[in-house]
Amino acid sequence: MRLPIVFACTLLVPVPLAADPISFTDHEGREVTLPAPAQRIASIPIPMASTLIAIDGATDRLVGMNPTAKSAIMEGILGRIFPEARDIPSDITAPNFIPNVEELAQVNPELVIQWAGRGPDYIDPITNAGLNLMTIRYGSEELTREYMTMAATAMGRPERIEPLIEWRAEVQADMEARTAGLADEDRPSVLYLLRAMDNLRASGTENNYNAWYHILAGGRNAAEDMVGGWADINVEQVATWNPDVIFLNSFEADLTLDRIMDDPILSLTNAAQNGRVYKMPLGGYRWDPPNQESPLTWMWTANLLHPDVFDYDLRSEMRTAYQVLYGHDLTDADIDEILWMDMQGGQANYAQFAAP
Amino acid sequence: MSVALDQAPRRARLALRLGVFPAMVVCLVLAMLYSISAGRFEVPWIRVVEILWARVWDLSGSADTMDERIVELVRLPRVLLAALSGAALAVGGAALQGVFRNPLVSPQVLGISQGGAFGGALAILLGFHGVVLLGMSFVFGLAALVLVGLLAHINGRTEVLTVILAGMIVGAFFAALVSVLQFLADPNSSLPAIVYWLMGSFSTATWARLGLAVPGMALGLALVWSLRYRLNLLALDEAEARSLGVNPDRERWFIFIAATMMTGTSVAVAGVIGWIGLVVPHAARLIVGEDHRRLIPASALLGAAYLVLIDTMARTLTAAEIPLGVLTALIGAPVFAVLLRQHFKRAWHA
Repeated sequence: MRLPIVFACTLLVPVPLAADPISFTDHEGREVTLPAPAQRIASIPIPMASTLIAIDGATDRLVGMNPTAKSAIMEGILGRIFPEARDIPSDITAPNFIPNVEELAQVNPELVIQWAGRGPDYIDPITNAGLNLMTIRYGSEELTREYMTMAATAMGRPERIEPLIEWRAEVQADMEARTAGLADEDRPSVLYLLRAMDNLRASGTENNYNAWYHILAGGRNAAEDMVGGWADINVEQVATWNPDVIFLNSFEADLTLDRIMDDPILSLTNAAQNGRVYKMPLGGYRWDPPNQESPLTWMWTANLLHPDVFDYDLRSEMRTAYQVLYGHDLTDADIDEILWMDMQGGQANYAQFAAP
Repeated sequence: MSVALDQAPRRARLALRLGVFPAMVVCLVLAMLYSISAGRFEVPWIRVVEILWARVWDLSGSADTMDERIVELVRLPRVLLAALSGAALAVGGAALQGVFRNPLVSPQVLGISQGGAFGGALAILLGFHGVVLLGMSFVFGLAALVLVGLLAHINGRTEVLTVILAGMIVGAFFAALVSVLQFLADPNSSLPAIVYWLMGSFSTATWARLGLAVPGMALGLALVWSLRYRLNLLALDEAEARSLGVNPDRERWFIFIAATMMTGTSVAVAGVIGWIGLVVPHAARLIVGEDHRRLIPASALLGAAYLVLIDTMARTLTAAEIPLGVLTALIGAPVFAVLLRQHFKRAWHA
């Protein structure tokens, strides 16, 4: 299950200076051709910056990123592991992903990464400036593996991506095997709230990554009657679903368990009554959406949903993964912080994650 | 375009009017009762009555079970807030239409809504909620109005046309500022909150929020009610009004401030809900005529019932909450088109 640590030493392999041209197809079906592995990469999508750092095990080749990606890195543990990330420019785009071509030209990237499927306004300024472009689509496990592979290919580091993909496939297969025999009534209903501070936004079913891994971990989507990927709901709707487990997002920085516990309605749900409300961890990236640390998310979720079925040693899995992904040895304090032990150590089934 | 005079035969109208207000009150009460019993969480009708009845007898009692809490802490404040906002927005629109002698005027035209939207969005961006958001929404609504006043005050006088033009300028300015805030907002945290809030919703209604909304809205409603006679004079030609001893500038400003209080407060507690101020006074005018002594209370009652029903649809039609601004526009625009056609057809044939 564990990400083989032997691959961490691939970090030490020097990047080849000259190589054959690189060619692959991106998520808009465009043929991307690079004369050599890209040494200077600008990333406009938010999660991609941390993925690039993870694939390379270093920040050297990231020359520009989304300001929100940068703030996420600087506020989280990645900023402590890679303090030099502070100096990477983040004005190549506004948070709205429209490229700033002047600034892009300034950092002179050999490859620019942008969202796929958002129309010419997001793409044309980059290609018109004569820059190499790779587009990525987001949301499912399959797409995640594809764009991580694309990024590794563009960086000329295919040896880095194999163990990462293998790790994902192994954890997924192991979880599928263990939950295969679960009857419907043994699957707790799970509500994931992407927004909870001002309005409540729940995961629907259509291509929703959170719903996907909740089912993978032996749960059932409480919002399974919801049309579309996401839906704004009210507290009454939550009361009607009466979920067994509630996961709060890690996007809203001020969001704590009190949001549920202090609410007159939400505090009466099964989840709140049984202490099964948790905030998603914030690691090298937020654990809610797909990213390089996803298998950790799945294992954390599975241990919480079915402590009787799953017993992943999360702390040790995290240590190995962070060593491989970022070349960093997690301290106990690091892990406690990522998992919000201070805030939710007392919740149901959470003691299993405490430092021994 | 001026408001067409009431052309229908007077006697027939009078007979109609005698029963119209009690009917409107009954409609409003029924709409509110229906709304309290409708929702995603099933509470039988009889149980709703039971819960409400128990509370009437024991105000100090606390809600313990889920159905009690849903009825008392979620639906009741929400329905009351929707009713109050509906009344305030409709009366604000009716009063402004009277002052400008223009049936297409609404708080949007004066830039009040845009100013309030900017204030609220700025509050969310800065991480403020609750009272601060309310305050900023109101202050910027008022700021928009003051800007309009300063821009439109030329050579010691304020003309209606310059006010409308100034309102368009200020409204466009604040709308642009809202766009700037959306551009700057963090797409992971504040941007979704701003976007959601701008679309309008009562889903965050609580007794505390209702308490915050009551002063501004009640004061605005009272102010317009006290000026209902004057509104009839203000609706006259500018020179005519002056000759009757009205100081149009000063009284207009009272109406503007009242409309700002009502619109700013409603924007703050529920986001931007368009079309109420435009559609409801029209419907009211078709029923009770042009006289503001009847038009103002009719607008308040109709607006309250209308928004209560719209909000009930928003929260019950689907498991997902439908944004109010979307519903009021989807329903409001065609209704407005029909009203407008009937209005002019009748004025034409009379």
